[in-house]
Amino acid sequence: MIYFILISVLVVLIIGAAVYAIRQKDLLYAVIATGIISLILSILFYMLQAPDVALTEAAIGVALTTIIFIITIRNTVRFEDERDKKDKFKSAVK
Amino acid sequence: MTYIIYIAFIFMAAGLIFSAIRFVKGPTAGDRTVALDTLTTIGVAALVLLGYVFQRFVYIDVALVYAVLGFIGVIVIARYLEGAL
Repeated sequence: MIYFILISVLVVLIIGAAVYAIRQKDLLYAVIATGIISLILSILFYMLQAPDVALTEAAIGVALTTIIFIITIRNTVRFEDERDKKDKFKSAVK
Repeated sequence: MTYIIYIAFIFMAAGLIFSAIRFVKGPTAGDRTVALDTLTTIGVAALVLLGYVFQRFVYIDVALVYAVLGFIGVIVIARYLEGAL
């Protein structure tokens, strides 16, 4: 009961961040929203008395996922609408 | 002593909400990156306080790892925005 406020705010924020990450056209902002999802999910695991799972989520979700997604965006395109331009996407993939 | 923890949880929830508002409204990518960094800092503080509430001080290791690793993501995003990644 003592952390009811915090857990309700966290649940609302994780749903909002997930919807934002899905609907955003700018992929960099979607990656940042994925980082927020990972942070809040780690806190929720921690509040459910599973600190080892929270530790793994912190290590994988924050560092590894963000770095790999940013390198992928660097090598391809940043905005989702640019994917329609076939030649630019093909040259970016090469 | 319990009231202090209540007040701290309310302040952390308010900080999380305001950082999320700045993340949604922020016009540039820098605002959103700083909002992510602020959320990480408030999350680490929440982890430490929860470790105190649960009376298990081994839990603070999670907050320590998160404080070290949350820095790397922000640095990578900043390097990408700078164009030097």
